Amino acid sequence: MAAAATTNDSLSPLMTRIANGEREALRQLYQATSAKLFGVCLRILSDREESEDVLQDVYVTIWRRADRFDGARASVMTWVSTIARNRAIDRLRARGPMAYAEPVDELEIPDGAESAEALLSAADDRSRLAGCMSELDDRTQSVIRTAFFEGVTYEALAKRMDAPLGTVKSWIRRGLAKLKGCLQS
Amino acid sequence: MSEAPDLSEAEAFAAEHALGVLNARERAEAEARMAREPAFAADVEAWRSRLTPMLDNIEPVPAPEGLWPRIERLLPANMGGGAAPANDNSASLMNKVRFWRNTAVGGFALAAASLAGVMVQVNQPPVVVEKQVPVAPQGQLLSASVVSQEGSRVQPLFTAAYDPDRKALIVTSLLPEGSDRDKVHELWLIAGQDNPKSLGLVESGKAKIIALPTELMAKMSEGAALAVSIEPPGGSKNPNGPSGPVIGVGKLSRL
Repeated sequence: MAAAATTNDSLSPLMTRIANGEREALRQLYQATSAKLFGVCLRILSDREESEDVLQDVYVTIWRRADRFDGARASVMTWVSTIARNRAIDRLRARGPMAYAEPVDELEIPDGAESAEALLSAADDRSRLAGCMSELDDRTQSVIRTAFFEGVTYEALAKRMDAPLGTVKSWIRRGLAKLKGCLQS
Repeated sequence: MSEAPDLSEAEAFAAEHALGVLNARERAEAEARMAREPAFAADVEAWRSRLTPMLDNIEPVPAPEGLWPRIERLLPANMGGGAAPANDNSASLMNKVRFWRNTAVGGFALAAASLAGVMVQVNQPPVVVEKQVPVAPQGQLLSASVVSQEGSRVQPLFTAAYDPDRKALIVTSLLPEGSDRDKVHELWLIAGQDNPKSLGLVESGKAKIIALPTELMAKMSEGAALAVSIEPPGGSKNPNGPSGPVIGVGKLSRL
């Protein structure tokens, strides 16, 4: 998956230039990816102002860490999306325990239209993952999605679902093992 | 779907880290393990790649107009055109400054309290209250928050960080960009009984990396202070120190 992404990755040359300190390259990456990453921040934080702060932080992080980007391991889009998601989740966690008091609902992810910058390989990955996710039972799907989009810990998930910690843990671990098996087949 | 083989304990932990279900302690453990074990780090990366396509269905939303200029301002100064190598170094320094800058604004009461001894009134000459003999003068990271005080109102104006390894001082102006267009801010080092030494001009709202010659590095020590004065364009005409009013002072202290 990562290898396919590398060969098709039109954004990859920008990363080398960014690592060399070229602001213009970062600006181009911003133009190509900021709408996507802003969407990611908004999806996780549901707050415009916080999402702007996080997005700002994300591009400064990209600038600082560009030299660690490895095209053989991930596509640029995956790499920057991971940074955006992690930063947004950090921010969510910083809101404190109250952020986790909400019940599990709204787990459905809105289906967006194909974005212009989406790579062909990314589209493949997405549909494969969506296909494999749909093979999991509803409860497992929902805990995996909640964890992914909200960075909710096992402890908090167990509390929310009123289930023993060990049980939630085994739902997720089994779900992840199935996902991996499905993605490899 | 038929039964999938269980993940190994190490891979399950990597997957959990990528998914985000670990608590703070476990996350720290996972990060440490990624730094030590390339195979574990590769597992985490692989799981991130597996899971990230979940983000692909999210609708893009145009980022607000003014955001790019804000980001650009946060990037290390004087780095354009790839002239300088290793932006990681400069950038991580800038990151430290951002941290201090946030501290200066957010943890404002704390900064104000720790600097109470060296604040001066506008238009008064700077007075350094403490004089210390520098010990290992070039060896330690120092920071200063330059603040102004009018009555009981204390206002952070600049943050500065000295990194002996980089032989540089990184200064960030906390004033709005473009304020004081017909005047400039000049930064001074005040050490012991010496005349203030100019460290150059700092633009409002900008950050700047100032390379320090060895003679100035020797003076960068705890107890020395930074001051900022308002000067005509081009800087102070007085060879021995500021010619305009000193608007703020901050003592250098160890982190």
